[in-house]
Amino acid sequence: MNIITERNPGPAVVVDGLRTPFAKMGGALAALDAADLGRVAVDALLTRTGIDPAIVDETIFGCVSQPAGSANVARVIALRSGIPAAVPAVTVGRNCGSGLEALTAAAGRIAAGRGEVFVVGGTESMSRIPLLFSAGAAAKFAALARCRTLPARAAAMLQFRPGDFAPLVALKLGLTDPVAGMNMGQTAELLAREHGISRRAQDAFACHSHRKATAARGRLGEEICPVYHPGATDGHLSEDEGPRENQSLEALAKLKPAFETRTGSVTAGNSSQITDGAVALLVMAEARAAALGLEPLGRLVDFAHAGCEPERMGLGPAHAIRELARRTGRRPDDADLVEVNEAFAAQVLAVAKTLRGPGFEGLGLPIDRLNPNGGAIALGHPVGATGARLALTALHELRRGGGGGALVSLCIAGGQGIAAWFERP
Amino acid sequence: MKTRQKPKTRPIVDHETLPHITLGARPDGIAVLTFDHPDTSANIFDATTMGELSDLLDALRLDPLLRGVVITSAKPSIFVAGADLDELEGARGGEVAKLVERGQRTFDKLAGLPVPTAAAIHGACLGGGLEMALACDWRIASPDKVTKIGLPETALGILPAWGGSTRLPRLIGLPKALGVILGARPMPPRRALGLGVVDELVPRERLLERALQLVRGDAPKRRRHLLANNPISAAATRWLASRRSRRRTRGHYPAHAAAIGVACRGAGGSVSASLRRERDAAVRLAGTGAAENLMRLFRLGEGARKSRGATGADPAERLEVGRTAVIGAGVMGAGIAQWFSSRGLPAILQDIDTTRVASGMLAVDRLYRDGVRRRLFSEREARLLADLVSPAATPVPLDRVDLVVEAAVEDLEVKKGIFRDLSARARPDAILATNTSALPVAELARAPGVDHPGRVLGLHFFNPVHRMKLVEVIATDLTDAAAVESALRFVRRAGKLPVLVKDRPGFLVNRVLMPYLVEAGRLFERGADPLAVDRAMLDFGMPVGPLRLLDEVGLDVAAQVAGTMSALGRRFEAPIVLAALVDAGHLGRKSGAGFFLYGGRGGSGVRPNPSALDLRGGGGEGAGGDRTATHLSLLMVDEGRRALDEGVARSADDIDLAMVLGAGFAPFRGGPMRYGSRLLEEGVRHQLGELGAGP
Repeated sequence: MNIITERNPGPAVVVDGLRTPFAKMGGALAALDAADLGRVAVDALLTRTGIDPAIVDETIFGCVSQPAGSANVARVIALRSGIPAAVPAVTVGRNCGSGLEALTAAAGRIAAGRGEVFVVGGTESMSRIPLLFSAGAAAKFAALARCRTLPARAAAMLQFRPGDFAPLVALKLGLTDPVAGMNMGQTAELLAREHGISRRAQDAFACHSHRKATAARGRLGEEICPVYHPGATDGHLSEDEGPRENQSLEALAKLKPAFETRTGSVTAGNSSQITDGAVALLVMAEARAAALGLEPLGRLVDFAHAGCEPERMGLGPAHAIRELARRTGRRPDDADLVEVNEAFAAQVLAVAKTLRGPGFEGLGLPIDRLNPNGGAIALGHPVGATGARLALTALHELRRGGGGGALVSLCIAGGQGIAAWFERP
Repeated sequence: MKTRQKPKTRPIVDHETLPHITLGARPDGIAVLTFDHPDTSANIFDATTMGELSDLLDALRLDPLLRGVVITSAKPSIFVAGADLDELEGARGGEVAKLVERGQRTFDKLAGLPVPTAAAIHGACLGGGLEMALACDWRIASPDKVTKIGLPETALGILPAWGGSTRLPRLIGLPKALGVILGARPMPPRRALGLGVVDELVPRERLLERALQLVRGDAPKRRRHLLANNPISAAATRWLASRRSRRRTRGHYPAHAAAIGVACRGAGGSVSASLRRERDAAVRLAGTGAAENLMRLFRLGEGARKSRGATGADPAERLEVGRTAVIGAGVMGAGIAQWFSSRGLPAILQDIDTTRVASGMLAVDRLYRDGVRRRLFSEREARLLADLVSPAATPVPLDRVDLVVEAAVEDLEVKKGIFRDLSARARPDAILATNTSALPVAELARAPGVDHPGRVLGLHFFNPVHRMKLVEVIATDLTDAAAVESALRFVRRAGKLPVLVKDRPGFLVNRVLMPYLVEAGRLFERGADPLAVDRAMLDFGMPVGPLRLLDEVGLDVAAQVAGTMSALGRRFEAPIVLAALVDAGHLGRKSGAGFFLYGGRGGSGVRPNPSALDLRGGGGEGAGGDRTATHLSLLMVDEGRRALDEGVARSADDIDLAMVLGAGFAPFRGGPMRYGSRLLEEGVRHQLGELGAGP
């Protein structure tokens, strides 16, 4: 199915990338919305690479909860970063896969001959996800707004009940699957039960994630651009806030289950942290990068999406990795490193088990090469940004390690997985 | 009264075109007067234009079919920018009275028309332009950036005398009107709307349509401001405003007092009496030296803003600066980057580590928040402009940058290193500028490793950057004419006034200022009361006393700058007490104490520092008053003359403008050169008088 023509400019390469530090919800970056965060990352990327933004063909950003004041947040980010108004921009959404979706969308455009230079990425401010009024309350507000006379207005106001003013937490709604009727934590509990993953195994995995992340601070620093903001101590944030230097198993063991109070095993400690952050990547057709004399970080070899039951959305990576192996013939063991997003420790461990089980022959994950710099449990999971963060971290790790290939995969709320294969150019 | 004989059936006045104002008559009986001064981009009220308007209004008044009048402009960025300054400057006594009366009569005719009238304002509507609009029933304006509305007269030493001081208080109430008249600053349209100076903001394309709609209806019913404008309130306002103005101007700016008097008395009572008072005040003020000096400075400023081709460089070699970088994120660097961004120019702000960049970015953020508070920007504008500053804590590519301003520490070796690095990273045609206040620019151009020295020059901004309009553009012997020309154009485009100076120690402003500051230090050393020294210069009209200024600059910095200039002569040698103060840790404001004490109770900078008093020798020389002021100010006059002789500045005019804008030299005195020649004239006349040969 490869349509290689003379016009085909070759595969997509990631020329460079930067991300903001990931900050805890309500932390140093809480005052910035997804557009602000995305702009910081894109501005830093354009400044560091020095490329002329006029050569950009499109800006593609992933974002799950776009700021109410910045619909199509990709466009807002592009304009605020000095990318000319004539360059279009689109926001893509595949929940937790959005950040990687932005990259694969650019790759698709390049393959189709629809552009050669893309600024892509993901951005999310979990701090700024709004509180909502219920539909019933909204209807009452609408009725009130229609009233012309004072008595009518008074009557309309009397329709309100105290419950109407109780906010709906959009963050909670967003993390609940409307089809399965379960929140994400509950889907992780289901996997833990079905795959027999103990609380201890989950806590150990989480603890290990913190160890790796704290040890990798210097390495992760290479992909981070400081965020200069008066809200941060000393006026800038230059490191991820999530990783804890002295995270102990004992401390993790003390935490109460977050989703199933009595019998559950998934806690805040062995789940991904809720954070704010943004990632920006400069993606080009390989030939274009070469023509500009740029040395890319790596090449996107191929990618795959796959669906599964929404109740078991955490297994998405297993399905996507199998689909990717079918397309490319490359197995996880061929990779020098594997990044599987740590939505939940239980979920990653269930993926690892599944890939060793029936139907996934030969696709076992090389655990020693899994998430070498820690994952979302330590670093945090700004949902729309994480996919791009995994690609960026993996590419830098490949560059440092001199390895050949990296596999990146995420589970996606709603029951999907995405997997992508990168290699050094 | 020729039009009277015309039959009633005839459509209103013929469609006719006069040189400066076009009259468009419409079938619905509405006359549209369009100002369009031939040959220039500005509309102004010179004698001809005023005469034309007067004649047109006479004709319109007699037209029985007239239903309304709309006044507008055909220029893209000017409505009417005010009176003709040349006419005003040249006028004396009786001529001023005539000039004022002509305008008053014409606008009275406009106000007296029996039909609704409207001004549709797009572009600068200043002085006489606004006074004409105030004589209309309606004023609507476009919300565009070029639309600026205000009464700048008091800044020129006169007052709004074509009805502005009378009509504005009646329209918006006395206190607000005084703010507009004494502020003398052009307002953005949104502010004019908020104050009630204009009635509506309407998109430019719909201005005329809306104005026509308004004049088809009735004239508006206006608030009468009984609370603010009644005699008792007006008297109270007058007392308060006079007191505040006396404090601020120390009596040097009679225009303020006159405007307050006319506006407050004119808020009630008859219009014609108030117009007479406007006229009398204008005649009195126009003859003062202050008005003469302020108008001259205004013209010099306009000249610096507009002058083109000053260096005779080939226009083809000029570089249009679009993107900038600032190296060094200290107070000056951050201030410069913020200023560039506020003028829509992208700026990379680079320093050697994240901490320094962060402090610079915080300063940028503070300046923008301050700007929002002072309503210079909306929140949205401030956010978008702040976006133009790109922080960099590592060396980033500069290929797209047209101008780099180095604002690092004042250390020649450090700066040489930076220029070497910039020479390697920037495009060969990019201008490399240093913001040094005293170091020799040529040394940087000649530093080994700096290629293309012809593009190296100095751009000396003053602190605080967003407030100080002056930029010294320093050309070395090596600097290309094209680079100088590009820099001058860039500075103008960035909204500052450039003065071209030679690469001599201290350049111009610091050079002229330094002997004055040094001598103030010496007076202190000899036992003068520091408060008396400073008060003498405040009374002279300086914005801040010399010893206080030294404290603000920092005594260590001042001593260092004086050191770089000591080659020029003994008058630049820092007094010993300065070194003693620095040694004792008294660095001025930044360390809490210098000549004065800062922080703590009792107000900053008003209590002499007792340890400073102890540091000096005994003595106890009296100081203060006119003698001290003359003594110290003459040092600036003398140094200005020397600088001119050495060719540091191109003209005495440049020196006056630079000293007023860069050092706050008393504007009403016209700058040191002007002040010096006036003293000379007086001296000559006095001597002649002594000899019995005077007039």
